[in-house]
Amino acid sequence: MKIGGYQLKLEQRVSLAGWQAALTSILAIVVALLLFSLLFIFAGINPIIAYQEVFTYAFANQFGLPLTINRFIFLLLCTFAFIIPYRAGLWNIGMSGQFYIGALSVYAVLFAVGVKSFNIIPISPVIIILFMLAAAALGGALLGAIPGYLKGKYNINEIVVTMMLNFITFYFVSFMIKEGGLFMNPGGRGESFELPSSLQAPLISNVPFTIFIALGIAFLLYYMFAKTRIGYQIRAYGKNPAAAEYAGISKHKIPLLVFILGGALAGLAGYHYFAAFPGVYKISRNYGQIGDLAFYGIICGLISQGNPLAAIPVALLFGGLSVGGRLVQGKLHMSFGVDYALLGVLMITLVAFQFFYRYKFVFIKAGKENIDVGVSN
Amino acid sequence: MLLDGIKRGETVLETKGITKRFPGVVANDHIDFEIKAGEIHAILGENGAGKTTLMNILFGLYQPDEGEILIGGKSVRLRSPLDAIDLGIGMVHQHRKLVSAHSVIENIILGHPNAGKILDLKKAEAEINVLCKKYGFKVDFDAKIWQLSEGEKQVVEILKVLYRGAEILILDEPTSALTPPETEKLLASIQAMSGDDLAIVPFITHKLPIVLAISDRVTVLRRGKVVSSMPTEQATEKSLAIEMVGREVIFRIERVKVERGPAILEVENLSALSDKGILALDGVSFSICEGEIFGIAGISGNGQQELVEALAGLREPENGTVILDGQDITTSSSLERWQLGLGYIPSDRIDVGSIADFSLIENTAMNYYFDEKYSRRGALDYGKIRALTEEIISEYGVATTSSDSLAKTLSGGNLQKLILARVLTRKPRLVIADIPTQGLDIGATEFVRNKLVEAKEAGACVLLISEDLDEILSLSDWVVPIYEGKFMDIIPGDKVKRESVGAMMAGLHLEAEI
Repeated sequence: MKIGGYQLKLEQRVSLAGWQAALTSILAIVVALLLFSLLFIFAGINPIIAYQEVFTYAFANQFGLPLTINRFIFLLLCTFAFIIPYRAGLWNIGMSGQFYIGALSVYAVLFAVGVKSFNIIPISPVIIILFMLAAAALGGALLGAIPGYLKGKYNINEIVVTMMLNFITFYFVSFMIKEGGLFMNPGGRGESFELPSSLQAPLISNVPFTIFIALGIAFLLYYMFAKTRIGYQIRAYGKNPAAAEYAGISKHKIPLLVFILGGALAGLAGYHYFAAFPGVYKISRNYGQIGDLAFYGIICGLISQGNPLAAIPVALLFGGLSVGGRLVQGKLHMSFGVDYALLGVLMITLVAFQFFYRYKFVFIKAGKENIDVGVSN
Repeated sequence: MLLDGIKRGETVLETKGITKRFPGVVANDHIDFEIKAGEIHAILGENGAGKTTLMNILFGLYQPDEGEILIGGKSVRLRSPLDAIDLGIGMVHQHRKLVSAHSVIENIILGHPNAGKILDLKKAEAEINVLCKKYGFKVDFDAKIWQLSEGEKQVVEILKVLYRGAEILILDEPTSALTPPETEKLLASIQAMSGDDLAIVPFITHKLPIVLAISDRVTVLRRGKVVSSMPTEQATEKSLAIEMVGREVIFRIERVKVERGPAILEVENLSALSDKGILALDGVSFSICEGEIFGIAGISGNGQQELVEALAGLREPENGTVILDGQDITTSSSLERWQLGLGYIPSDRIDVGSIADFSLIENTAMNYYFDEKYSRRGALDYGKIRALTEEIISEYGVATTSSDSLAKTLSGGNLQKLILARVLTRKPRLVIADIPTQGLDIGATEFVRNKLVEAKEAGACVLLISEDLDEILSLSDWVVPIYEGKFMDIIPGDKVKRESVGAMMAGLHLEAEI
């Protein structure tokens, strides 16, 4: 393409600095919002007003902000569930299944201590909450161990296994909470029995303590990848499995380990959403929609390039938009699904912009020798 | 075609002042040379001398910044390999570019304009058969590529290029993966082709004897410039080496006799399956003592890979035992073996020996991450590993801008130096060097060989695997030809006969009086 005396040319990037990746992501978000404003315009709504509503509600409203933060915690944990295997070159598409099993494990603990049948529980709530957390992580980890083990031992594709497990666990939840299920709500309604208020997660200005877990894990993971031996082994396996094996890094252990860790964190997300999210406190009827939202962990993980700290702002943005999008849908009388459409457009644009992680446009003076260079490397 | 009507001895291709610059280097600096019909014109040069760039320019992959290419006396511009092919230039790459699941004939006609939409394999076969007869190639047209040896694959590549009508043949390292007998056959074919007025331009890094044996003219490149161009009869192995490297090179490392110590590696009846499930290593037994180089000579694919992997803990043996320093390690993991003193230099330095997207520091860590001296409570001491990497870079002369550079920015020779240094600084008891000098230039080859001798002098036992018989013969205390998974013999280095080892590599026992 020629512009004036200059020619626009596509070049392969040699390296990508952190700020360049960040700039690309910000640019992508701006473009996505511009694209999505077309939808508002077609619906006869001024996009500026619409976005004002979305962002004010999501980030500066006393009702919206806590929702955003709770969604953020959930998404961040799901992002980690993706990132850890991703750094080992493996794809965890099973965060929603691990999330379901985490939630079921929490309710299994409650069931075991008799929450469903008795009203008085003889054990201190703190201890039960700790057990709930541990069970959530353990449940997710055990489900994660299945694809991890199969990958390491028999080289079975982890994407297929995790995806299949999502379906199995989805119906398993249904089996447990609907009519006749062990965790069925006494009133029917297709949801689980409710968490007694004494066992609800402690709140700090309307935000559950799980935020500290999620943020703490972000820093721990960052440290693990940057400094520790195990982090080195995971990264080496991710960049070149054959070289890792040569160096004595076990090709069986690494996939198992990363899927156990990832699954455990997705399991914790199950605890957060169904036992710590103010106003939920049960496995709700629409648990499948929340499970779908868990997949945004993949997108957040890809955008943050597997960096656990970069995942924080990304997950916050996605959490906020999912909350704000739902609001404008109702408030501005738009059709169903604005929040998912908004996240979808954002996702497509961000993925498309990953192109710029590998290529860049350069201007060169036209008329120079190397115009019709064929192949070069 | 521009080459029609050119007679034997007339110039077919000429370059005038070809210059190509890359950021920071002049890869080709005013290169002039010419090729005549029926001439074998070898281009000689070390890695980085500008050979590859020149070759890519001749094949249309690069455009020169200055200068011109004349074919049949006319100036031409090669915008892409397609232009080059249309003008009758054919290239046989060092790394085979064949479809391994397809048959020989399918590969030869792949991309040929006459192949059309409906394949007429019979007709193509007949035409290719003519070429085979003329130049003495033998190949089974229906065999799949993966079933072929390296030498046969090379023949397929050459046939492919000839079948497309090439009259100028560029060969990149034509003999690098071939056995001695295969090399001889290839050279005979090359000579037959030149007799048929084809111009042949082999690009060669080392293997000077081959240059002397077949070429009519030799042009030596150094640092992007032509340092000399002369009829081959005026050149000697020594003069060419000096011109290539710019200084005198010691070609034959004298075998250093070291006082033999106790056995370090003892292997008893070791067998292993290949990836395809075939018995590839068939019950070998041997032991290597302190201060010995045990040189296994063989064509790749005769069980060397399985042997090396079984010793390094990367392949489960079918049966047999492996004892390192008196300790049975047959079932030990690879990591345990590293900790017990294994030092393994893999044959594939890019895909196995290093991690391209890791920095040099992280690459050094590949052999140190498990070492308690370089970590503290599970956290790696990157400061210490950085210091070690910088020491390696300066001591081994690894050419790089910084220890933070990515491994993929290193040239092959420098990467090999880094791997070698990383392994040897651990002071391993057993060094496994799997074709350690493949693809390296003379300077780097000499360096690697010297380091292996140093390791031996320091009391390690060295298992050397090589396809280069000269390398084996000049370094080894024991010469061991391997064929189809079995050791043909274990011969003391000072009693070895070159011809008989060459024959044994091909599975033959000469009636020897050893």
